[in-house]
Amino acid sequence: MGGMLGIVAAAILGVVMMFVGLISQKSSVIRIAGVACFLILVGVTAFDFSAIHEQGTQLYFNNMLSVGIKASWFNVLISACAFIYILIFNNHITKVGKNDAEYFALMLFIMVGVFMLSTYNHLLILFIGIEILSIPQYILAGSDKENIKSNEASLKYFLMGAFSTGILLMGITLIYGSVGSFEIGNIATAFQGEVTALPMIGVILLIIAFGFKVSAAPMHWWTADVYDGTPTAITPFMATIVKVAAFIGFINLFHGAFGNIHYSWKLTIAILICVTLFIGNITAVFQQSVKRMLAYSSIAQAGFMLFAVFALNDTAEKSIIYYGVSYTLASIGVFAVLIKLKDYTYEGFNGLGKSHPLYAITATVCLLSLAGIPVTSGFFAKYFVLTAAMEQGLWLGIIVFAVLMAAISIYYYFRVIRAMYFTSSTEEITIESNPMEQILLVINAVLVVLLGLFPQFILG
Amino acid sequence: MIQNIWLVPLFPLIGFLIAGLGRKQLGNAAGWIASAAVLASFIVSVMIFFEVSAEGFKSIDVHLYDFIKVGKLDIAFEFRVDQLSSLFLLIITGIGFLIHIYSIGYMKGDVGFGKYFAFLNLFIFSMLLLVLGSNFIIMFIGWEGVGLCSYLLIGFWYHKKEYSVAARKAFVMNRIGDLGFLIGMFLIFAKVGTLDFQTLETLSFKGVIAEPGYLTAIAFCFFVGAMGKSAQIPLFTWLPDAMAGPTPVSALIHAATMVTAGIYMITRAHFIFSFSETAQTFILIIGLTTALVSATIAIRQNDIKKVLAYSTVSQLGFMFMALGVGAYTTAVFHVLTHAFFKALLFLGSGSVIHAMSNEQDIRLMGGLKSKMPITHSTFLIGCLAIAGIPPLSGFFSKDEIMMNLFIHGTYGKVFWVLGMIAALLTAYYMFRLYFITFLGEFRGGDKLKSHLHESPALMTMPLIVLAILAAAGGFLGIPEVFAHDAHWLHNFLTPVIEKSLALEPTIHHLSHSAEYIMMAVAVSVAIIGILLAWGSYKKFDAKKENKGIEKFFEDKWHWDEAYENAFQKPFMKMSAFAEKNIERKGIDGGVNGIGKLVEFASDKLRLLQNGSVGVYLFLMVLGMILLFIIQLLSNG
Repeated sequence: MGGMLGIVAAAILGVVMMFVGLISQKSSVIRIAGVACFLILVGVTAFDFSAIHEQGTQLYFNNMLSVGIKASWFNVLISACAFIYILIFNNHITKVGKNDAEYFALMLFIMVGVFMLSTYNHLLILFIGIEILSIPQYILAGSDKENIKSNEASLKYFLMGAFSTGILLMGITLIYGSVGSFEIGNIATAFQGEVTALPMIGVILLIIAFGFKVSAAPMHWWTADVYDGTPTAITPFMATIVKVAAFIGFINLFHGAFGNIHYSWKLTIAILICVTLFIGNITAVFQQSVKRMLAYSSIAQAGFMLFAVFALNDTAEKSIIYYGVSYTLASIGVFAVLIKLKDYTYEGFNGLGKSHPLYAITATVCLLSLAGIPVTSGFFAKYFVLTAAMEQGLWLGIIVFAVLMAAISIYYYFRVIRAMYFTSSTEEITIESNPMEQILLVINAVLVVLLGLFPQFILG
Repeated sequence: MIQNIWLVPLFPLIGFLIAGLGRKQLGNAAGWIASAAVLASFIVSVMIFFEVSAEGFKSIDVHLYDFIKVGKLDIAFEFRVDQLSSLFLLIITGIGFLIHIYSIGYMKGDVGFGKYFAFLNLFIFSMLLLVLGSNFIIMFIGWEGVGLCSYLLIGFWYHKKEYSVAARKAFVMNRIGDLGFLIGMFLIFAKVGTLDFQTLETLSFKGVIAEPGYLTAIAFCFFVGAMGKSAQIPLFTWLPDAMAGPTPVSALIHAATMVTAGIYMITRAHFIFSFSETAQTFILIIGLTTALVSATIAIRQNDIKKVLAYSTVSQLGFMFMALGVGAYTTAVFHVLTHAFFKALLFLGSGSVIHAMSNEQDIRLMGGLKSKMPITHSTFLIGCLAIAGIPPLSGFFSKDEIMMNLFIHGTYGKVFWVLGMIAALLTAYYMFRLYFITFLGEFRGGDKLKSHLHESPALMTMPLIVLAILAAAGGFLGIPEVFAHDAHWLHNFLTPVIEKSLALEPTIHHLSHSAEYIMMAVAVSVAIIGILLAWGSYKKFDAKKENKGIEKFFEDKWHWDEAYENAFQKPFMKMSAFAEKNIERKGIDGGVNGIGKLVEFASDKLRLLQNGSVGVYLFLMVLGMILLFIIQLLSNG
């Protein structure tokens, strides 16, 4: 028993959540139900983890799913992150539109896709997982139906997502055409030494498809518009949990199936790293809206996570999980403060340090972590992925370039901090303080620091 | 007690913290607390000294904790307790304590009273680290610490511009020396990968660092460090200027302890210097030149402290001469006696300055003998000691240096003659100072005259104690010719430098009669010096201008001006040029340019994001095609 119960539970809970919406229209009931669902999900994945811990790797459905210790540990962590997100944002989610319960249900369905991406052992499951991950997102992006920007985001995301799905399918087809199997293990065995042009094109198409999902440049165009247009309560979920899951899928495929032909795709990944870091960081500098800046910063962070894809070693597989958790928690912390403000520009943050010191300090800790300042987990996250890439023998110039780009990122992250502490506001910022939420934000900020102090908790 | 050696530096550190943090609240108590801290250190040092002087004692490294442990680099925070360090502990804490007590009287009423004692304690702490360190790193921490305290105390009255300039000068000159020290450490580490004295000694005598060129380079670098700290030509001009600090500071830091750090360091690192004859000869020549040059300057100075300062430089030169001929214990012996009589002389001069309402010009003094009996008699003892009149301490140590010079190699006798000239000058300038200051008529006017008084007991007690030490200190090193095996200090220190001593070719001792003759010569030279001074200065004409060579001496050989023209002015010009062209245009321009470039790129890249899905897809496909092209090209 145990192993893929997470997928089952997420699917059932999603359906349950839709029924809750039928039974009650009260947002308080729906919120409690939503929080409970995600709590159960954490419990179930934890149960899965303990089962896998005892029994070892489990295979399901004719080897289509393979649940290993790393994957199930990732499931626990990502569910816990989702739970923290729901705890902090459930209030805001119900304010987005009218169909409150459906938003929670869609997120639970997304979790099904997340778990599939971490455990797939078959290219069809990968494809299904990606679609399950994406389609609810198209809907969520447009959940604020009255808002033209939200509608625009939804449509743009869908159109471009459809385009990338085509590329993904094309890639899978080419791989299947040359191997004759969808199974990861078979592909790995087939691809040894030199490969012919056909599968090589397939591999690059897959890189492009995944690059789209993780918003790596030059496939990143949708990111800023979609993240910006999506209701602020939803954006952090898309920018963190979904993106990290896409990375896990990315790594599983490229380390598992294409590990033996690393030579053929490392150049492409290296180029993606450089372009993504450059575009993400440089464009973020000029943004006037903090929300849009965070969208570009999520592109920049993806550039760092790509280092883990590049590096074919144990450090990389551990560090992507660490990076994902660290990045997720820090982003949630910043978005949680951002959503409180009426004005999303930098000026909107003016004087927050004086008027709401607690919100300001938690946001500061999270921004420091995103910028990669030591002691926070963000520093070690960057450190680990760069170490992994160094071990793999990535050209040192790219590492230096990445560090320089991280230095640029300090500029736009610290602009927020400067606005909060060193600029006084002309008008009073009114924020309804919620003690429960404040406690959660403090816990979140403490977690960001604690993970930096004890990275072994996730790595070990 | 030896395992508790950490107590010795701990007390002054605590004293520093208390006096420093409570400097506003404590008032006069700060002085007493600081003194008590040093006294406590002194007591522990005495206890350790007795343990160390026990029969058959072997040096002990007391490990406190691992200071730096990264990869191959392993620096322990470790104290080395042996005969050499325990002797220095006594000098530092003993004389340090006397000077602390004296300072309570001297600094009374100064606004920076508490700060002064905090710095003084910090100095003692750093100096103790310097002598206790069991490797070059710990020694270097102390080395830098004393440099810092010296800077802080020279510029203690920083509101006077020339004082802070003097402090800066001392700091910069010391930094030049420190650079030598650092490079020396790097050279050693690069070769053998350790900086621990014990290990280095073993390795060195096994011949691991045997390339003579490399060894000489190391020795030379360390000697540059010693030059800076111990004010040798060419890095000596800071010490006379350092007299800007309060007089007890001059006594403690710039006479008795810090400036002898160079001698200590070379003795500690004897395992390097003993292997490099070139470096030793170099040290000998520098020491001799310094002794002569600064003695000539000292005979024409009119500031009481300047005379003593140049005298200190000259005496340090004597010590380096001893090191140059490999006579480590002799050098340490002179450090010891010099600490006694020079601290005494400085404190005596402080007492005079105190009475003269901070007037330091000896041309305005005279006839102080009757007004200040204790200061006068103790000062006289100091003068006799430094001049080398038996049986006072200076005679013994200086005689030993001369003897070692005489028997050293082919040119030993030449060095001896030159050394004797320096000794003659020593007696001359000291007694010139004495005659002008204490004998004759008072020349300072009636107003000053009415103020003249003997200093309080707090100040005269240390003078008396130091006078006794300066008088009797020489008996620690009675030469072989007077009594067999009576040179206590030599026997005491031998275990430290045993291996270096074994290297020396069997020293052909002089016959007893020859030694007696040389002593007679030395004493007569001293007496001649005194008589010459008496001839010229029994009647002092304050208005007489110096001419010719005398003027040249008075102007300190124009060293400062030479440095200014040779280094300072060109350097300033270079700086101004660099500031204008490299800093403003180059670096600032570059940094701002990068910022502008990023903004520019950001501004342009932002425009690509125009919101149209068609454009996005087009750009994406363009990117894909480029990726494919690159992949194709890379596969050839």
